[in-house]
Amino acid sequence: MSNRVDPTLITELEHFGLKDAHKCYNCGNCTAICPLSTPENPFPRKMVRLIQLGQRDKLLEAPEPWLCYYCGDCSTRCPRGADPGETMMVMRRYLTSLYDWTGFARKFYTSERFEIMAIAIVAVLVGLGLLLFNTGKPNWDHAAINSLWPAEHIEIADLIMGGILSFLLLSNVFRCFRIIMGKMAFKIPLRYYASEAKELLIHTLTQKRFSQCTDRMQWFVHLMIMTGYSSVFLLVVVFIRWFQRDHIEYAIWHPVRLVGYYATFAILYGTTYAIIGRLKKSKAPYKNSHPTDWMFLILLQLTTLTGIFIHFTRLLDWPATTYFLYVIHMMVAVPMLVLEVPFAKWAHLAYRPVVVFLLKVKERYAQETAAPATAEAVVEGAIS
Amino acid sequence: MEKKLAVYICTGCGIGDALDIDQLSNLATSDLSVPICRTHANLCSQEGAQLIRDDMANEGVNSLVIAACSPRVMYDVFNFDGVIMERVNLREQVVWCQPPKEEDTQMMAEDYMRMGVTKATKMDLPEPYKPEEELSRDILVVGGGLTGLTASLEAVKAGFSVVLVEKQAELGGFQKKVAKKVTFPYKDIQDNDIDQLIQSVQQNDKIKVYTGAKVEKLVGGPCVFNLTVAQNGSTFEHRIGAVVQAAGWEPYDPAKLDAKLGYGASPNVITNVQFEEMSLAGSITRPSDQQAVKNVAFLQCAGQRDPNYLPYCSATCCFTALKQAIQIKQQNPGSNVFVFFKEMRTPGQGEDFYRKAQEEGVIFVRSQDPEVLVRGSKIEVQAFDELLGDTVLLGDLDLVVLATGMVPRTAFGEDCRAKEKKEGEPEVEVPQDAILASDILNLQYRQGPELPGLQFGFPDSHFICFPYESRRTGIYPAGPVRRPMGVANSIDDATGAVMKAIQCIELTSRGLAVHPRAGDASYPEFFMQRCTQCKRCTEECPFGAINEDEKGNPLPQPTRCRRCGVCMGACPERIISFKNYSVAMIGDTIKSINVPEEYDEKPRILVLACENDAYPALDMVGLRRMTYNAWVRVLPVRCLGSMNLVWVADTLSKGIDGVLLLGCQHGENYQCHFIKGSELANIRLSKVKETLDRLVLESDRVRFETVAITDYDKLPALLDEYAEKLNEIGPNPYKGY
Repeated sequence: MSNRVDPTLITELEHFGLKDAHKCYNCGNCTAICPLSTPENPFPRKMVRLIQLGQRDKLLEAPEPWLCYYCGDCSTRCPRGADPGETMMVMRRYLTSLYDWTGFARKFYTSERFEIMAIAIVAVLVGLGLLLFNTGKPNWDHAAINSLWPAEHIEIADLIMGGILSFLLLSNVFRCFRIIMGKMAFKIPLRYYASEAKELLIHTLTQKRFSQCTDRMQWFVHLMIMTGYSSVFLLVVVFIRWFQRDHIEYAIWHPVRLVGYYATFAILYGTTYAIIGRLKKSKAPYKNSHPTDWMFLILLQLTTLTGIFIHFTRLLDWPATTYFLYVIHMMVAVPMLVLEVPFAKWAHLAYRPVVVFLLKVKERYAQETAAPATAEAVVEGAIS
Repeated sequence: MEKKLAVYICTGCGIGDALDIDQLSNLATSDLSVPICRTHANLCSQEGAQLIRDDMANEGVNSLVIAACSPRVMYDVFNFDGVIMERVNLREQVVWCQPPKEEDTQMMAEDYMRMGVTKATKMDLPEPYKPEEELSRDILVVGGGLTGLTASLEAVKAGFSVVLVEKQAELGGFQKKVAKKVTFPYKDIQDNDIDQLIQSVQQNDKIKVYTGAKVEKLVGGPCVFNLTVAQNGSTFEHRIGAVVQAAGWEPYDPAKLDAKLGYGASPNVITNVQFEEMSLAGSITRPSDQQAVKNVAFLQCAGQRDPNYLPYCSATCCFTALKQAIQIKQQNPGSNVFVFFKEMRTPGQGEDFYRKAQEEGVIFVRSQDPEVLVRGSKIEVQAFDELLGDTVLLGDLDLVVLATGMVPRTAFGEDCRAKEKKEGEPEVEVPQDAILASDILNLQYRQGPELPGLQFGFPDSHFICFPYESRRTGIYPAGPVRRPMGVANSIDDATGAVMKAIQCIELTSRGLAVHPRAGDASYPEFFMQRCTQCKRCTEECPFGAINEDEKGNPLPQPTRCRRCGVCMGACPERIISFKNYSVAMIGDTIKSINVPEEYDEKPRILVLACENDAYPALDMVGLRRMTYNAWVRVLPVRCLGSMNLVWVADTLSKGIDGVLLLGCQHGENYQCHFIKGSELANIRLSKVKETLDRLVLESDRVRFETVAITDYDKLPALLDEYAEKLNEIGPNPYKGY
């Protein structure tokens, strides 16, 4: 069975940011230098080869893009300037668009204009929503957000948004699961999934694999952004009642305050580092910046900054500024969540640990199903 | 000339410490009756050389024996005009490879002194060969392609006149059919500027150009060639000094290719040469309907590096494919171009051109065995991609370009040997050179009309050691006829070959030998009264230097001669000799070796060593201070092919226990400077058994070994093992006779 070469793949990937993959002469330095590449799942060379040879189906089924954290070693060492690290990044964008059944992701990645328009529209809708749906009785004497937008109401909106986001993301994750597992999708008993669930959790929380990369700074920055983002996400979506307060009621060691400060610091530190890195193109992973990369960093930093401003205007007790900033804050934060989480860069938050997890499950299953067979063979061999 | 001999012994470099110099100089003056023998602590110093010059001036010394270091060093210091000189190698081959102050070491040095003095006594001063006819300094260039044009201009730049003969009606050769070229600095494709080159050749009044012409006849030898050019039914005569053969190549016939490459199955499957024609005509289109091409595949090594078709790599096709792929990409950046290759061979700066193609977006597939599938108007290529480890199918192809290779023009024509055998002449024992009557030079040589080949129809030039050389003195192949090559190499080649031609003219006009014995003034002389017309010399000369008259008498052409002495070794009547190298001289030298009585238990081994490889290898043993058997006596020969069997008889009848011939590797990957000297020696040696039987001697006493200069480390063991073998056989019964 021959694998038909699709020469259009490489041109299609150019829309996702592919630039230099054709320069690769397949020497394999990238794979050799990569601390994460294994004989079972070698990358990036193999992936680059799939692109060169237009192997669409094979690329779709490949878990390898998700095993890469883009430390950039391969791009630094590439003798041809083929930038394999960026190629892996492009493949993650491409796979994200393929996992997404709505087609939004594809639009998002391939059209900068679409991305900006979509974010602008959602932002305007959020702004209008906040102006239309509120108590109508703002406290003009003191800065009290709850007077205009009570936390309970926001919580309802949060739940609706969370439901939609979860549905979109999970349905995409399910497609990812089907694709990665292929024929094995429903064959492996659930206990295997259960036994590896701990790994899933650990990987998600610690990004353990990323720490194996040579440039541990990247792992650290990534971990800061990820943990900061996740914890503040929990605060604003699940614990909004405790988070959106008009007065400081908790002691300094109260978890909500501690988590809030940590998240603020972590995100600011991480995004500032990344933005400066990308502006200066200081290292390989920062050399190529797709519009979605910028969008994500800018939205996240703006959300955090507006959040900090609200904190201060509230302390200064400036009601009008606070309410105004609150609207802006929401206009930035909500599009980021609604669009980035299921359709763009944030989706990797789900795909990467899921794929790592699925590979572990597969590996475990293969080991355990192969072992008895060999034992049998040994016994048979001994008898005969 | 009356000889006055003098021996000079150098005591430097450890010679004085290891040997009894007084005893050695006594041997020279009393036993060997040399009138003058001087020692000096540093003979190669200005003072030492002055010592010799003073003797030449004041004492009338005209024959020198310099007992010091190897003749392969200090030759610039010990360089005296008009004297006979023999070097005795006391340093490398005695004191550096033998234990000092030992009786056996002293005996070895004394034997070398005897041999050296005998040689000097027996040799005459060579007189350069000067033919009576006028010597030509003009260069003939055969072939008016890039190589030939470059060669012509280079020759003119060096002050020589040129006759350029081109078969086609116009100059330019294959490059005339090419739109773009690839050469230094290999950054991008370049416009072909062959027309400028043609123009500058045509405008040069020192180049006589014949187009639509051929070399009808080339008679004579370097500096005395008589050229006959045929053009439009008339002939022109020229006198020629040396020749550059740049006859070029022809594309391999694609009709002979394996059917699975699809040639002929669709008009859209073409060769790289057809691509050039299309490119020159305008733009690249689909041959079937002249529509634009979108998907293109290049298949490299089409019928190349394959024993069933062309067994070799044509060296240019990778560059050509890259060039053509870039042309397509530049014509239409949206096109998809795939190159299927076995190995991408773009050495050196050529890598940049490969990179260029990659940057243009050409995709490369490493595959050993791609297949073209033609189904009606649909063309697909199926190939196993080695990196993917899987078969891929490339469909919807508009154009498939097959990289067919280069066949040298010399590969066409009938084999001369085939004709000879039909005449019912006795089978020749010596392997004959492959000469195809390719109608390029039409040499009037007894051995055949063209340059002898070795493999695949290329003229043999031993291209690793001696590029541009051929087996015909004064004729230098260059360009793709010598080996497959592209534009850059052809220009280098043309320049190099012209330099060789100029060297040939310069040396020959002074009566001296060309490479590899460059500057040697001796040449073989034939004592014709005793010739039996056996034709061995004319058959065996590796350079076809000897013609024959109708009766079979040899007609030596000294300007074609390389002075190897193969004819001297071949002649059963021993009528061929050089002034300073002859059968008798070497025979006497062998006989001068002192052979101790049987009860002394000091056997003797004569080593006849090729002076190009084996002798320097023995020097290397000394340089590395390795030790070898003390019974060995080394006698350098010009080439093992100059060994006359009578020397073996001389050696054994003298009582020397064994003869070891150290020569070069022969056969396909030969290393012999004279192509087949060691091979001939080996053949002759196989016949010596007869002689040994007549002498009631064991044939194991004679041995032939091949050594390269790099094999020096194996020599001590080889010599010891041989000495051990002779010990087993026992002493030579002829001792003391």
